[in-house]
Amino acid sequence: MTLQSDPELKSLNLNLLEEQAKQTRRLIIEVAHRSKSAHVGSSLSCVDILITLYFHQMHIVESDWQNRDIFITSKAHAAMALYATLTLKGVISPEQFFSYNQNDGALPSHLDRFTSKGIETSTGALGHGFNIGLGIAHGLKLQDSQRQVYSLIGDGETMEGSIWEGAMFAPKLKLDNFTAFMDYNKLQGYGSSTELCQFEPIVEKWEAFGWEVLRINGHNFSELISALQAPHCGRPKIIIADTIKGKGVSFMENEMKWHYFLVSDQIKDQALAELT
Amino acid sequence: MRNTLAKKITNFAENNPNVFLISGDAGFGVLDDFRDRFSTRFLNLGIAEQNTISFASGLGLIGFRVFVYNIIPFLLYRCFEQVRNDICYQKIPVTLLGIGSGTTYAPAGMTHYSVEDVALARTLPNLTIFSPADPIEAGQCAEFALKSENPVYIRIAKTGEPAIHSHSSIDIQKPLCIREGSHTAVLFHGSISQEVLQATTATSPAPRVFSIPMLQPLNFDSLHAQLNGIQTIVTVEEHFVEGGLGSIISDWITRENLSYRLQKVGIKNEFIHAIKNNQGMRQHYGLSSGQIRRAIKNAFDLT
Repeated sequence: MTLQSDPELKSLNLNLLEEQAKQTRRLIIEVAHRSKSAHVGSSLSCVDILITLYFHQMHIVESDWQNRDIFITSKAHAAMALYATLTLKGVISPEQFFSYNQNDGALPSHLDRFTSKGIETSTGALGHGFNIGLGIAHGLKLQDSQRQVYSLIGDGETMEGSIWEGAMFAPKLKLDNFTAFMDYNKLQGYGSSTELCQFEPIVEKWEAFGWEVLRINGHNFSELISALQAPHCGRPKIIIADTIKGKGVSFMENEMKWHYFLVSDQIKDQALAELT
Repeated sequence: MRNTLAKKITNFAENNPNVFLISGDAGFGVLDDFRDRFSTRFLNLGIAEQNTISFASGLGLIGFRVFVYNIIPFLLYRCFEQVRNDICYQKIPVTLLGIGSGTTYAPAGMTHYSVEDVALARTLPNLTIFSPADPIEAGQCAEFALKSENPVYIRIAKTGEPAIHSHSSIDIQKPLCIREGSHTAVLFHGSISQEVLQATTATSPAPRVFSIPMLQPLNFDSLHAQLNGIQTIVTVEEHFVEGGLGSIISDWITRENLSYRLQKVGIKNEFIHAIKNNQGMRQHYGLSSGQIRRAIKNAFDLT
């Protein structure tokens, strides 16, 4: 059971979520340009997941900070997406975000929890945050807390053995306060997950491990919301979200190079023109 | 010492609802009492070392005081990145209880030895490293760990180590002089204590003998003061010669431009293929009491 969020946020205003997602993507493009950062494609693909979590699902209010739900960016190279969402939410300031990934800036490229409020655990290497989240979830249950734990993992990240170590224990521990999202954008560092390894059938793999599994379009807010509302049935849940790397900027979509490429002045203008 | 640690942590759990114990499928006959009495605060996270450490980090983040128990390679090596990134980098006060220091489990094979663990642990700047020599020191290490704001690593052999201290009011954060002496000081840590004590019993002149339970951060001021009048230091450890206490002392001497002569006694830095039990390994690598005695005499003769 999720704690009741502020009633204002609970209303199914899909248009608002679309608008917030667009603003978040604009922020990502701005900051990627300003800081000459990579991982643009990776950040854009998970924006809608983050917006749904931070603006619809999770209980995160300043006045009840110690009872907030926990979000862990296990897929830490999508940090720009988290920071942009936190900026929009007012948890961090635009000044902090604009200094991202720069000499003497406030935020490193990946995530260091000592640098800012809103970062629940430090991540960067893949296959860590997910498992830290499981520990948090277990502890919260011991504390009889209603707080929920959410973790974003990448599809490439799912190759890490540690993910499957955690996957094997979570159902036994009945971690039904834990929800993972897999950002299934089908492109990683130098290939595609399904080409590199026997990735599919991924839904069946998680089901076989004893998880509650849903598969959705990771850019459809109705589906995102429904998936989050689906019952856990006493088990941890994973939502396999089919997404597009670089989503929101037509020339970036589905292009591996946008894992690495930097946003030039021209690219920035072109991208922002699409995000109006 | 593992029973001392287990008892201590079980006592902690009685009075402190945040104490949590995780086992990596180890602890048969040792952790039974804790497991049975505090079942909600015990987890056997099986043979999944990376998940275990990250999981401990998560519990620590929301206020639990976590102890993780396993044999050293599966606590530190298998999941080193997790220890580094999830616990130490984030300064989460998890305590790693490592069993089987040195060649305790010989002849199990090198996968089950830990002769380089101190060297590896030293690369984690905020990790407090303990290598207690007897149950009294081990108990104090556990007390320290319960209150520490930094992550802690406690390295012990197994069981049966006799007490080397006559009383329990010792300060494990300082080098502990357990025998007075002159000219030469012998510094050791952990279960090699018995060999060292036998080696130094009939030595003349009697060396000053120190147990160093806290290897990192090592209280060099205290050590320097207690080494008053000493000219030669001999370090002895069931650990690689390069990377453990010997290297800590060597670096100190160089860094502070000190004039001690140093002789390091330990296991040669090589992969161990020899098939010997722990006593046999000590003999093989120059760590028997007789060999330690000769090393001390040689060090003395050279000055």
